[in-house]
Amino acid sequence: MVQTILRNRSQAPTQAGPSYSIQITNVHKTYTNGTTALSDVNLYVKPGDFLFVTGPSGSGKSTLLKLLYGAERPSSGEILVDSRPVHRLQGDRLALLRRRLGIIFQDYKLLPRRTVSENVGFVLQAQGYGRGEIERRLGPALKMVGLQGKADCFPDQLSGGEQQRVSIARAIVGTPPILLADEPTGNLDPDNSRQILGIFKKLNEAGITILITSHDETLIRAANQPVVQVRDGKLYDPRL
Amino acid sequence: MRSATKFNYLIQETWLGIRRGGWMNWAAISTVAVLLFLLGASLQASWQISHFINQFGNQVEISAYLDTGVDAGTLKPVIQRLGDVASVEAIPKEIAWDQLLKDLGQTEGQNALKQLGGNPLVDELHIKAKSSQVVATLAAKLKKIPGVESVQYVAEAVQQLAQLNRGLNWMSLGITSFLTLAAIAVTTTTIRLIALARSRELEIMQLVGATQSWIYLPFLLQGVVFGTVGALLAWLMIVGCQRFLGQILVGQPELLQILLNQGGSGGQAIVLPLILMGFGSSVGILGSLLGIRTASKTAP
Repeated sequence: MVQTILRNRSQAPTQAGPSYSIQITNVHKTYTNGTTALSDVNLYVKPGDFLFVTGPSGSGKSTLLKLLYGAERPSSGEILVDSRPVHRLQGDRLALLRRRLGIIFQDYKLLPRRTVSENVGFVLQAQGYGRGEIERRLGPALKMVGLQGKADCFPDQLSGGEQQRVSIARAIVGTPPILLADEPTGNLDPDNSRQILGIFKKLNEAGITILITSHDETLIRAANQPVVQVRDGKLYDPRL
Repeated sequence: MRSATKFNYLIQETWLGIRRGGWMNWAAISTVAVLLFLLGASLQASWQISHFINQFGNQVEISAYLDTGVDAGTLKPVIQRLGDVASVEAIPKEIAWDQLLKDLGQTEGQNALKQLGGNPLVDELHIKAKSSQVVATLAAKLKKIPGVESVQYVAEAVQQLAQLNRGLNWMSLGITSFLTLAAIAVTTTTIRLIALARSRELEIMQLVGATQSWIYLPFLLQGVVFGTVGALLAWLMIVGCQRFLGQILVGQPELLQILLNQGGSGGQAIVLPLILMGFGSSVGILGSLLGIRTASKTAP
């Protein structure tokens, strides 16, 4: 499985090849201070795949995700997400691509002065949906993460695991085909981590492509999904 | 439905931004209000003076005051023969004195008569020129006639007033330019601080695919609110000052009353608040744009 994901330069897919949710081809990323975060990275993820990206802290996992949602730009190479060249998108075109992505962070990034339902509905409001549509979508999203009873709670009234589930609900409420999660269980205990993993599996079964960065070995083993490793800015198959 | 959603969103987010701004809002609004007050007051003063100049600057009448003992009736035919004279009216000193006593009132008049020991006035002639363009030349000719002690005409005072008005206009332009820059700077800082206070929300909005206009339009509206509220306050202050001056002017010399009561036409009463609103909104929008530009540079 991993062999189909990691390819070398000569094996890059042609235009006529199968469509991928994510295509990273010959990507280098060097920051302005001279630090090389990624070097010659090639990664191809098909629709419906579930992939873990692992590696030590500072190895370039988060940079890889930032490149995928356009928060960083590669120094060279090409990145296609949902068949769109994210490395060339700016402004509203980048915004429209981000509507096709659900993004989850280690620190949840919830708004403390808004309730659970307001935090989740905020995404749809930001995308210009009306009140009726927001109400219609809120219920299923909260049910998916098991928080339908906590809709009116504020983030500080929730546990870490619950807060992360709110952020998952926020990521999926817009029904994106691709989910990116940066260390989603980094701040959680093993029980909560397993719950979060269970949610990701359910979402993947529903057809969502999932890419998770994590250095939680236990979680990765429990998931039993393909894994690629980032070491010194390069991608490896950890089994090799 | 979609536009109703947008409208609701804009109102809601603009209000939220203003709430987050706290006292900084008042810093921006008061700076804009002071700017607009000075702009409005100088505009109003300029209009009043211009109106006065237009009204009196075209007057063709010249007053010639004669030497003591010279009879107005004897000089009248001499002046009538000068070119550019439309008409001449002789005012004997007795009639001028009676008029003065009437203006001063019974008691004041009797006192003046007692103190002066008689009529100190001289005969005068009111000469009307054929056009306002020849008034100055005609006045110069009149001065040269033997028996004429001095000559006065309104246009002379009006010219000095026009010069003063030009000076005031330049000064107000300088002050307005400086305050405009200050108001833009304060609005920019306020918007930047509000954006900073909402940085987490803005970051999330950007990450979930909100468009730039969706994120930043409420900030522009905040700038418009600053400008509009500032304009409203400035206009109220101008109206208040006008009323206050109007009360003070009761019992003041007629010329001053005329000067300060000029320019209050219905048209200008509407134009002034519109100018203030337009200028205030422009300052607000410009300040917001600069604030947004800085805030959006840090976007993910």
